[in-house]
Amino acid sequence: MKPAPTLSMAFLHPAGQLLPEPLAALRKQRGTALVDMPLPTRKTENWKYSSRHLKLTDDMAISLPAEGKTGSSLAVPGYKVAFLNGVMMPEASEYPDLSGIRIQSFGDLDDDEASELAQRLDDTLGGSDEKGAVQMARLNSARFEDGLLIRLKPGAALDQPLFIIHETSADASGSAYPRIFVDAGANSQITLVEEYISSGSEPAMVNTVTEVMAGEGANVTSIRLNMEGDNIQHIGATGVVQQRSSRFESHSVGFGGPLRRHDLRVRLEGEGAECKLNGVVATRDKQHYDNHTSIEHVVPHCNSEETYRNIAADQSHAIFSGRIHIHQDAQKSNADMNNKNLLLSNGAEIDTKPVLEIYADDVKCAHGATIGQLDEISLFYLVSRGIGRREANVLLTMAFINELVEQIPVEAVRETVQGRLSHFFEQTFLEA
Amino acid sequence: MLSIKNLHASVEGKEILKGINLEIKAGEVHAIMGPNGSGKSTLSQVLAGNEAFEVTDGEVVMNGENLLELETEERAREGIFLAFQYPVEIPGVSNMQFLRTAVNAMRKHHGEEEMNAAEFMKLAKDVSRQVDLDPAFLKRGVNEGFSGGEKKRNEIMQALLLQPKLAILDETDSGLDIDALKVVADGVNALRSQDRAILMVTHYQRLLNHIVPDYVHVLAGGRIIKSGGRELALELEEKGYGWLGIKDEATADNAAN
Ligand SMILES: Nc1ncnc2c1ncn2[C@@H]1O[C@H](COP(=O)(O)OP(=O)(O)O)[C@@H](O)[C@H]1O
Ligand SMILES: [Mg+2]
Repeated sequence: MKPAPTLSMAFLHPAGQLLPEPLAALRKQRGTALVDMPLPTRKTENWKYSSRHLKLTDDMAISLPAEGKTGSSLAVPGYKVAFLNGVMMPEASEYPDLSGIRIQSFGDLDDDEASELAQRLDDTLGGSDEKGAVQMARLNSARFEDGLLIRLKPGAALDQPLFIIHETSADASGSAYPRIFVDAGANSQITLVEEYISSGSEPAMVNTVTEVMAGEGANVTSIRLNMEGDNIQHIGATGVVQQRSSRFESHSVGFGGPLRRHDLRVRLEGEGAECKLNGVVATRDKQHYDNHTSIEHVVPHCNSEETYRNIAADQSHAIFSGRIHIHQDAQKSNADMNNKNLLLSNGAEIDTKPVLEIYADDVKCAHGATIGQLDEISLFYLVSRGIGRREANVLLTMAFINELVEQIPVEAVRETVQGRLSHFFEQTFLEA
Repeated sequence: MLSIKNLHASVEGKEILKGINLEIKAGEVHAIMGPNGSGKSTLSQVLAGNEAFEVTDGEVVMNGENLLELETEERAREGIFLAFQYPVEIPGVSNMQFLRTAVNAMRKHHGEEEMNAAEFMKLAKDVSRQVDLDPAFLKRGVNEGFSGGEKKRNEIMQALLLQPKLAILDETDSGLDIDALKVVADGVNALRSQDRAILMVTHYQRLLNHIVPDYVHVLAGGRIIKSGGRELALELEEKGYGWLGIKDEATADNAAN
């Protein structure tokens, strides 16, 4: 038998970006733990469809330099933090001093703050243990060069969305490791928009981790846009831990690439906590997109609601795996998971897998998954009114995801998404 | 305006239309009556261009053009309109968006300027009132959760907006109460004009009390077996289809129930 492939040692050398000592020490320790880390294969359940798209060759291990100008000079309707290849760019960032809210680069933390953060990193993602941890997030922990710490004091509310623009600049091969940690105190409120973009055309990888601690009664909305180029492998993980009566809302919209992977994990640890996870994916050509979500109802009286929609055209492949784990004590849990999928060509593939692990007996848990094509009768109805076939296709495809796009709570983001979708339709539905 | 000659059509290998001949001139109203299953909807759908039905023989010419060679949307732009027997529900596309897209597709085809949202809103509100539909329906998904009668009125509303040359109304009267029937009939009468033809497909003759046809044809077993003036409808009403030697399955079913 061939030995299982392991992570190349080339990945275990973080670049020399200056981190405060406690974080540098943590990173080193996480790196040591990755020596001989087996790589996911087809037999790794969570990577069944995606392992063959994961290219961890030595040229990918090189840290992409955090220099040059960011292309993300666009004005945003809110506050902005710009990252270039995983490192914060203060000159391209714009946010005021706000009372009760601190937005800091990891590099700017003093030793006490860094040490406190080091103690908490990875907690939302299954810790540093191999078992149960989000595997590829561990690579981020061994490699991050900077990061963003957002702390909201109890009751603090950010009055405008905070846009975090993550640009991967790939003028040469390599990888970047952005990292975000949100500590939302009791009854605080924040809306984050994480926008992933890229420049340059060499094959590159971004491996990103976002962690959210939602305190009692906190209200956190997270919008995630995956819009990098076709040269970028994207491996992302988001970990959320929710305390009593907190609310977390996620709106994720992604377009395909050689590999797009997002693991979203939510743990409902305080009674009355609720989360709502929406996702839209559109893939075309030979693109690949793999969403894995996991919601854990740890305590009673929590609600979760999840709605994901995939659209796959051409020879692309989209995957949804949704896990709901209701712990033994989590009575009176409400969990609703729904995944609908639209195949726009016979060559496209969609895989959907609900995983329900329910150990409490007094719960309401609904789940549904469908895979279908555009409805011929609806199409005929539209064209019988003189509407062109291409436009009819667009109307019906939009109809499939409209409900989710409309729920995105920031108008400018909805517009960005609409624009990207129009572009997707232009490429997908050719003029007859 | 429309000339159908020896039209044969089948679905899933089964022949439904077995040689239809029909001439319709501008300004005329024709009624096609016939028992359930006789092929009325098939004829309507074939004229509108539903590819689920295969035309195996014959020709259809509209204003000198071979209709069968046109795509569905081209037929619509040339002036064919079909009010569906079963209008389709399309959640996620608002009625307003649907109607405006359709109207603008037509306008573009005719070299007219497209209507902006505000202009169209005004027009759509007026027309929706004409068919007694609350303008609030414009915001809902296409036919989504509409009652049977509301769907039929929405079809007539579309005909009024699109101003077709040939309006084919497939059982637009079925499932309507007296008041709704009156509204629909008024809508159809508003469509009547010198340069427009109307083909009304119906199982019962009650709509014909409100919209007086110029010609009535009886379709049975995929053929037109009798044609006449408006008096033919009354005769059918009185004597039933049995008089023509046709078995009306639906009538028989209803009697059995
Ligand atoms: N899509 C279809 N597939 C199979 N058979 C069909 C289909 N549509 C219609 N038919 C058959 O064709 C015949 C005529 O149907 P239709 O045109 O709907 O009749 P009508 O409208 O007069 O009631 C019926 O026997 C019906 O079962
Ligand atoms: Mg019928």
